[in-house]
Amino acid sequence: MKDMMPNPFNITKAVDFSDQEINDYWVDIPSGHGFAAMTKPTSPMPMLILGGKGSGKTHLMRYFSYPLQRIRHGQDAIRGIQNDRYIGIYLRCSGLNAGRFKNKGQSEEMWADVFAYYMELWLSQLVLNTVLSAVGGTSDLAKNEPAITAELSKLIDADKGTAPTKLSDLNGLLRELQQKLDGAINNSSIIGSLSARIAVTRGDLIFGIPKLLGTKLSPFRDCLFLYLIDEFENLSESQQKYVNTLVRERRSPCSFKIGARMYGVRTFSTYSADEENKEGSEFEVLRLDTLLRENKEYGRFARRLIGKRLAESDRIQATTVAIDSLAEALDKCFEEPEKSKFSKSETDFLIEKYNGRERPYFKDLRKDLERGIKAKSAPGLHGPGDIEKILKLLSCLEFPLLEKANILLFYQDWRSKRNLLEAARAIAGERKHYQDGTGESRRYKEGLLHFRADLLAQLYRDTHHRQRFVGLSTFIEMSSGLPKNLLVLLKHIYAWATFHGEKPFGGSPISIRSQQAGVLEASEWFHHDAQLIGRDGRFVMDSIERLGTLYRGIRFSRKPSECSCSTFSADLSRCSTDAVRILKLAENWSLIIEVGGQRDRNTERIDAKFQINPMLAPQWDLSIYRRGAVALTPEEVNAVFDPEHSTEFKSLADKRIERMMPPFFGRRAPTQSDIGRDGILNLFTEEDHD
Amino acid sequence: MIDYTIMYKGELPVESEWPQGLRWDVFISAYTAADRVRHVYDKVVAGSKHWLVFPEYGFPPGKSPAGAFVGSAREEAEYVKAFWENSIGDVGTRTISIDITGFIRPYLIFLLRWLAERGVRRFDALYTEPDRYANREQTVFSDEVVTEVRQVAGFEGTHNPDTSNDYLIIGAGYDDRLIAQVAEDKKFCKKIQIFGLPSLRADMYQQNVLRAHRAEESVGRETGDPSSSYFAPANDPFVTASTLREIVSRVSSGKPITNLYLSPLATKPQVLGFAIYYLTERRNSATSLIFPFCEAYNQETTKGVSRIWRYTVEVPSI
Repeated sequence: MKDMMPNPFNITKAVDFSDQEINDYWVDIPSGHGFAAMTKPTSPMPMLILGGKGSGKTHLMRYFSYPLQRIRHGQDAIRGIQNDRYIGIYLRCSGLNAGRFKNKGQSEEMWADVFAYYMELWLSQLVLNTVLSAVGGTSDLAKNEPAITAELSKLIDADKGTAPTKLSDLNGLLRELQQKLDGAINNSSIIGSLSARIAVTRGDLIFGIPKLLGTKLSPFRDCLFLYLIDEFENLSESQQKYVNTLVRERRSPCSFKIGARMYGVRTFSTYSADEENKEGSEFEVLRLDTLLRENKEYGRFARRLIGKRLAESDRIQATTVAIDSLAEALDKCFEEPEKSKFSKSETDFLIEKYNGRERPYFKDLRKDLERGIKAKSAPGLHGPGDIEKILKLLSCLEFPLLEKANILLFYQDWRSKRNLLEAARAIAGERKHYQDGTGESRRYKEGLLHFRADLLAQLYRDTHHRQRFVGLSTFIEMSSGLPKNLLVLLKHIYAWATFHGEKPFGGSPISIRSQQAGVLEASEWFHHDAQLIGRDGRFVMDSIERLGTLYRGIRFSRKPSECSCSTFSADLSRCSTDAVRILKLAENWSLIIEVGGQRDRNTERIDAKFQINPMLAPQWDLSIYRRGAVALTPEEVNAVFDPEHSTEFKSLADKRIERMMPPFFGRRAPTQSDIGRDGILNLFTEEDHD
Repeated sequence: MIDYTIMYKGELPVESEWPQGLRWDVFISAYTAADRVRHVYDKVVAGSKHWLVFPEYGFPPGKSPAGAFVGSAREEAEYVKAFWENSIGDVGTRTISIDITGFIRPYLIFLLRWLAERGVRRFDALYTEPDRYANREQTVFSDEVVTEVRQVAGFEGTHNPDTSNDYLIIGAGYDDRLIAQVAEDKKFCKKIQIFGLPSLRADMYQQNVLRAHRAEESVGRETGDPSSSYFAPANDPFVTASTLREIVSRVSSGKPITNLYLSPLATKPQVLGFAIYYLTERRNSATSLIFPFCEAYNQETTKGVSRIWRYTVEVPSI
């Protein structure tokens, strides 16, 4: 019988959680004073919260909203708010359906005014609803409500019928005005005109209501009204300009936290004489996924997140101590290859599979050497006998990983024009020293240290085995600071483990095959999901496809120029405008991640450096870690990212990879004049630019 | 409350003659490269016949039928209004038939609103079922380049600032990317999918579910989850409208729906059903009909002609 416990990782998005669940599943980052210190909910300085999809923006913003404050403070919500010194008013921009405020035969200026008015009505209703929910029924409100209502009514220039005496009536009036506006907008596409009378001056209610309430009602004295505006990316440029204006013209006791995807901010301009809001002056920025990715405690945070999910699904009382102890034990819940000398346990299958047969990488080497001899590009070799000698010298039957290391070093020597027989003898000696732990074998040790993961990846590929993305640390690394990615990975792994009849987190560790299947599925989801709206989306995805193909070519070449190749550096100032634009879009969509700068080997210039998102690594069998970065030329960057230059990609990629392939390693084939009297090739004179 | 299922739905012969006397004053059809669209156009007897050529199909100049209305506006309201003013004018008591088969969905949806505005109270909709989709579950209908997700003109409704119990009901078609785009755009909504069952052909339901499964992470529910999956016949607009009513009634029986979004991405009869339901029951409420607008659609995605349906639609007065 299968374990029928619901998958604890099924919900991967905050939007699918109720307020109670947002509270229940809340996990703080275990550094400093947690998210509250980073988000500063009591600070009057507005904040832009930027993050990729799944970075936890919505979870964070909802956590600071009034409904969550109420849950946290229980019966005494008013006192809780006073202690918090803020009250959070949460707005989802997608609920505004901002796409309707355009065209229909109306001017852009007209729509800008109508949208500003609509936002005024919308936010005012939200703030009044929040306030009524917090202090409705209190004697304080009862005593002051008529005066407050009368004061606020003066700000609305509309026929009010009977003058409202309660805030709920005022709210009803605002609702009525908003619905009239909805109707007028709706009809404008039919009748071709828009009749809207703007009854409120910009900002009068949004700032006026909090100011008056702060003066008249004691719970709101010294309380910041915090507008939490989420999904900012859903607004057009002119609509964002209006919100920016509110930020710029902010009046006490109000402030803003604006949540947006990294690509989501279209402008910093305002309607205040077209001035731009400046970071540090009008607002500060919290870059959520960068902050998580670079936080040393991200691993602990991620484990807590998982622990919390497991605790909640088991209905365990989830104290921090219980979660932490659960989190610490999580790594053991995932099967990992047994640690063994020279990865023997991971490569034993190969010994068995190729028992009595030539191993595939030796077959390739044999072919390379035959081609080399034929092309007179294999220094020191004259015939098949030499090939056999080399294969024997490089062989290490018991440890396939060492054989791969031997071959890598051999190719390196080949490219460095060494006599190949001598090179093979030297490598055999180095290998023996390294294997026995005797003598100096620095080159061997470093080669293996740097290229171990790549050599294993090549081994798996050579033998048609699936790459191994296993172990909790791997999944945390893959998530790159985006908690949703981690949850999606675990959701699929959990589902596969259940499908395979395992009891994840409740019995034996989750098998490697379940982990592999889950990772692949999660990676495919990430790849499929990363679609953008519009034509650029396709350009971005095509670029990522090319980049992945290039990295794969390098990783699985005979002599990779870089280890764990998943990163490139480039001088973007020399690349085409479109290439840079598409590259930036890819970055904003978290498909590539900027990882600092790299000094160019030849010019000392600091170039930008980007890693492909590790969630995509399984698509091309790449490494999730980054070590070496490939320095791409501007032409290569253009061929990868600029649609106009994409036809040049194949030849440029082939050319680069040829530099890592024998027998010529990217150099021209030899002519008769290159051959010396001894019959030895004499052409290795070109510069090595790898 | 109107019973949608008593509206007339009948079949017309594919090859043999249609009933004598079956004629309309005005016949409107959307031009595509599909045989099934031309087949019906030729069979219809009408006082005037009108081809609409939508820009999204990308027919080059000179490749449209003579006399067709070739509008360049990509806004559904602008396009339909321009066609109407150019080709139809005051409809008076003239009878109307519309072949919905080749229509691009937002144009069809707006047309229904436009007919209501123009005082049309009844019209016949024709729909031709294909034998199969060209590449079965791999069929690509649009270029999948979604330019925006927005409300369809005339179906924008009013809105409630309280978004705590918003719902999105998706008529789940084969375009899983469109499902994902809509679900992402309204990601805070609780989501329900309607699948076409019975499907047009026996194997199409399975293909439909296979495609919809790809959008599962965006929809946030497992495909087939009984609490969020409903079924309506792929070829019946009236049962689709009834199903929508049933879903809305069921989900709002506990906590009232704060905002309702409808997104018909499946067959044209189901699209018609969504539009009928909206105009009849949800027009002045916090309900809107949303759609992921694409740059281009394929001119031909099906093979063969299977059945021809005639639906007599009673248009609500506005």
